[in-house]
Amino acid sequence: MNTVTTVDDFVQLIADGLGLPVTAEDVDRDLDQIAGWDSLHLLWLVTALERQTGRSVPMVELLRARSLGEIYAAVTS
Amino acid sequence: MPMTAVRSGAADASFPVQDASWDLVALHRAGRLVQQYPLVAGLLRHLSDADLIAAGQLLSRLSADEVTRLHPSVATLDIAVTGHGTLAALVPALTAHTARHGLLTRIRLSDFDGYVFDLGDPGSSLYAAGPGLTLCVLDPQIVFDEVPAPWRPEDVERVFGEKLRLVEGLTTAFAANSRGTLVLNTLPLPRRHSAQLLDHRSRARLGAIWHEGNAALLRLGERPGVIVVDLDPLLAGGIAAEDARMSVYAKAHLSPELLAAYAREVAHLARHLTGRTKKCLALDLDGTVWGGILGEDGAEGIEVADGYRGEAFRAFQRVVKQIGSQGVLLAAVSKNDVEPVRAVLRDHPQQTLREADFVRVCANWRPKHENLAELAGALNLGVDSIVFVDDSPYERGLVERELPQVSVVAVDDEPARHMERLLADGWFDVLELTDEDRGRAARYTDELAREDFLRSFDSLADYLRELGVRVRLARLGDQDVPRVAQLTQRTNQFNLTTRRMQPAEVRALAGDPAQLVLTIHSGDRFGENGLVGAIFARRAGDALHIENFLLSCRVFARGIEQTCLAAVLRHARRTGATAVFGAYRPTAKNSGVKDLYPRYGFTRLAADEDGTTRFRHDLAEIVGTPDHVHLDESLGDLPGAATENGNHGPQGDHS
Repeated sequence: MNTVTTVDDFVQLIADGLGLPVTAEDVDRDLDQIAGWDSLHLLWLVTALERQTGRSVPMVELLRARSLGEIYAAVTS
Repeated sequence: MPMTAVRSGAADASFPVQDASWDLVALHRAGRLVQQYPLVAGLLRHLSDADLIAAGQLLSRLSADEVTRLHPSVATLDIAVTGHGTLAALVPALTAHTARHGLLTRIRLSDFDGYVFDLGDPGSSLYAAGPGLTLCVLDPQIVFDEVPAPWRPEDVERVFGEKLRLVEGLTTAFAANSRGTLVLNTLPLPRRHSAQLLDHRSRARLGAIWHEGNAALLRLGERPGVIVVDLDPLLAGGIAAEDARMSVYAKAHLSPELLAAYAREVAHLARHLTGRTKKCLALDLDGTVWGGILGEDGAEGIEVADGYRGEAFRAFQRVVKQIGSQGVLLAAVSKNDVEPVRAVLRDHPQQTLREADFVRVCANWRPKHENLAELAGALNLGVDSIVFVDDSPYERGLVERELPQVSVVAVDDEPARHMERLLADGWFDVLELTDEDRGRAARYTDELAREDFLRSFDSLADYLRELGVRVRLARLGDQDVPRVAQLTQRTNQFNLTTRRMQPAEVRALAGDPAQLVLTIHSGDRFGENGLVGAIFARRAGDALHIENFLLSCRVFARGIEQTCLAAVLRHARRTGATAVFGAYRPTAKNSGVKDLYPRYGFTRLAADEDGTTRFRHDLAEIVGTPDHVHLDESLGDLPGAATENGNHGPQGDHS
């Protein structure tokens, strides 16, 4: 539904896609401190991003990331 | 996009496919999803599979309790999800697919790999929650996690055998600890396993072992209360069974797409279990049932069997006939003159569907939604029991706008795809077919004959006298259990407390000496109606409590309800009761029977918190049997269920 070109788009994708109340201020927070975050959301994110970009996402890096910012960096690097 | 631009996709004739998913996001952003929940099913209607899952993510965050508080008439179902691997992706998929059917589900996802404990321990929190539906999702890794490295087909055979015994034991435990329905599934065999065997002989042997294991799983589906979803047909449609990364890194052994396809199947089961199975398939004719336009091409010009397109339409007609043979009522709703249509159905040498296959042929020039509403009235069904198929976007759009409760199936100008479009959703799925189902179309055709007959009488009383109604009221026999359970599932209008029951529950009640479970058979000069109703009562001391009373919509308002109620009251008095209590629990559909008990001499008592009204009859004056009804009653003289269980009189039902 969204197109991801900036980190703000990425945050919006998570807010709209997972229904989590995340904002740009959450980008550098540890994932444990984000209300409602669950490691299983990563699986959804992998599917959503790959569907959108048509490219394979480095899943292990996503699993290792500790913040939304690190996840974004992993998928855009 | 503007936050306030919330339109109802259902009310917009231009079908904004993309917009519908945006509407849902807009509602979510505005924090209005709970408040606007009744719009949700309409917004989900035209979404792609991917957008459906996205919508499911948002919907799965809603509090079902809040939705219920604001919208008490929304149907709900509790579903427990347990299994072997990571099943998080199943929650949004199930949420979306059940919401498509207007069903609000409370989904309880068990801990990872929790199925053995959940199902094996009678004290598990799963059993304590008492879900209506329990999904135990199995995957190939339950076997491959436990084979040695390296492995041979014999290792797979041994482990699969152990798991089968385990699952069989869990199924037995489930039957002892839950009245709900358990859903199992077959195990896909990904190529990354079979290709590890380099010789074809071993590979074939592995395949044989695997299919035998799956066959044993499928046979568990013969047990009452157990459904086994065969994943093979879903995979054959072109879905990947797994994503190796998800399987290896996250223990999610089934792909999100496969889980979504599985959720689609489960949603139809949920629909059935909550008494919302579709009952009538209404078909457009030109472009849907046959190729071409009858009014322009003539009977000789339409495509029904010959040529490429003719073959496709014939194949579709065969599928429709197949569906009609299993208890689904077929109707034609076509903009055509009626005579040419009847002539094709009657005389066209290559037609597969014939006039007798349809309970009604509506061929005229009126808007189709009017015809569908009348059809529902004539069949005594709700319009929400109808599935409508049409190749014209205009006709579909109009029906969706005017009758949003009708499920509309889109077919297009590629007739070879008509079959899969119609079958994509299991609108008519049931647990098992009964003889009643197989004979249903003929009975409804009788019913329409009765209705025509009705027009020739001045008063209903004259009509009923001529009709010669016969009623047989008897104790439940074992052979009646599936049909009685089915009646509790299918009956919505004349259903006093709408308690849905599985066959095991009906059987359990019948075996309890305090319970009185009665079956109602009826017939008239047009033929037998079959087993059309049931009464569930419980004897407690001097009082008989009628827990539920239900009657098929085919036989309302003919004095059958009065006849049966009077017989139960007389039976109560004869066996020493001093009062009979009845209850009415309101639902969206049963308001027609809210005054049933007062009409027949019951006094109204206070209402319960959940809206249930209670009634009491003091047995002083009991209403008589209507003059036009002949009653054959075999209730016996014992207060509750008897050792004479099975004394249910002659079985004329299906003869």
